[in-house]
Amino acid sequence: MVIDLKRCTGCFGCVVACKAEHHTPPKVFWAKVLRNESGKYPNSTRQPIPVICMHCKEPECEKVCPTGATVKREDGIVVVDHEKCVGCRYCVVACPYGARYFTDKWKDYFTGKDEPSSKYAEYSKKKWMEDSDRGVVTKCTFCVERVEKGLLPACALACPAEARTFGDLDDPDSEVSKLIKKKHGFRLKEELGTDPSVYYLPAR
Amino acid sequence: MAETQQKEMMCAPRAQLEWGFGGRRKLRDGALLIALFLGGIGAGQFVVSTWIFNYPLSAVIGMIFVAVGKSAAHLAYLGRPARFFRLFLKPKTSWISRGLIAMIVLIVAGVAYLAPYLTPWVGMTWTAWTMTDTIGQMFLYVAVVAAFIVMVYDGFVLNSCKSISSWHTMLLPVMFFTYAIAGGVAMSALTTMFDSGSTLSTENLVVLDGFLLGAMFALVIFYVMNLYASDMTGKESLHRLLMSKTAIFFIGLALIAGLAVPLALTLVHQAGIQGTIATTLLAISALLELAGDLSVRHSILKAGLHAPVI
Repeated sequence: MVIDLKRCTGCFGCVVACKAEHHTPPKVFWAKVLRNESGKYPNSTRQPIPVICMHCKEPECEKVCPTGATVKREDGIVVVDHEKCVGCRYCVVACPYGARYFTDKWKDYFTGKDEPSSKYAEYSKKKWMEDSDRGVVTKCTFCVERVEKGLLPACALACPAEARTFGDLDDPDSEVSKLIKKKHGFRLKEELGTDPSVYYLPAR
Repeated sequence: MAETQQKEMMCAPRAQLEWGFGGRRKLRDGALLIALFLGGIGAGQFVVSTWIFNYPLSAVIGMIFVAVGKSAAHLAYLGRPARFFRLFLKPKTSWISRGLIAMIVLIVAGVAYLAPYLTPWVGMTWTAWTMTDTIGQMFLYVAVVAAFIVMVYDGFVLNSCKSISSWHTMLLPVMFFTYAIAGGVAMSALTTMFDSGSTLSTENLVVLDGFLLGAMFALVIFYVMNLYASDMTGKESLHRLLMSKTAIFFIGLALIAGLAVPLALTLVHQAGIQGTIATTLLAISALLELAGDLSVRHSILKAGLHAPVI
């Protein structure tokens, strides 16, 4: 995926789309938008930085996972098998991007209680328990179930500024590869050697 | 909580909230700290008691710390304790797997080594091997090697987290090893006070303890200097250790109560004090050292900050 920081307005549309798609409980953000403040008044700027799992080619989370629950698929997507995860959270502390979340309990968004307060919350709880479960670690899946059907990940589809481009990084003719080459794409914390699969295009 | 969440949404050093007391699950996350502490002092006590002092009762207590205390604390911490067996599946890349496999080896080989000593307690006689013959010594060697791994692996677990500057240092395995051995000496000292049949010389314990306290003091100073010389996140961690609520544990309990006071008490003990006062001083020193060990581990976990993503 390529995220164009020049286009991102920090509207949090991707965050909402991800929540609607995966029904993540409160305080769990598979897609989030961080605020980067730099400079000093009056020459200060605030830049939104959308962050998701980087689906690294050398994922630290996979290396440290003692159970083999975190695996890298052939297509490069890093997923957690919630049937195998024991909830030790080694991957959560080892991930340099803060992309992983441990969920002990499902909680309602509005009441903060274990019991759903509406029919939608009931549906959300059911979906979350089916797809992710409690007592385990969860993370962005690049909407693998959508990608397998040839659809875009929810965050990329929802972005009103079209800041996100999804595609095959291994194909030099793909739009993502061309964008990275043309606009000097960079990656977060490249120095750690994790080889992330999410590129950013500079804001200026 | 809203403030914590707001901070998490900034491009700034981000506190790790998974391991140690006060994490996302408050008290339950502290079980991991207890597991690391009990594992360290238990393995340390086993090594000190068998390898240096030949004191089987103390080795049994160390083994109980590892087999019961550490194991139970780990299970209490896990999100899915029923799947604990999965933790042993990836020793090739994961330090948690390596450490826990070493823990099982330590328990099995340690109990096998101590079997001739333990069986009379239940009215049986063990004839298959003794603690001093070749088989017994073989179990001891295996158990001691496994105990060394148990003492250092938690340092390597933290060291493998590349984005946490205060953890990503080789000083941590060395520090945790030294603290574990010192914890073992302190526990052996406490055991000998309650064991009327003990022939262990407290003089030897005090000399070894003094040496270890000096080494621990030097290592903590190196650790602080290392953080001072590291990147912005490392400096922020140092600020947490020295200037935030964590300072109560790091400066108050780990440095002053856990190192400076026991060191002073050791020197007083060495001055030639005998009898009940000497025993009391030794007991206070041992208890303070154990509190310092727990506090230093707690402080290091609490000071763990992830570097900002950009």
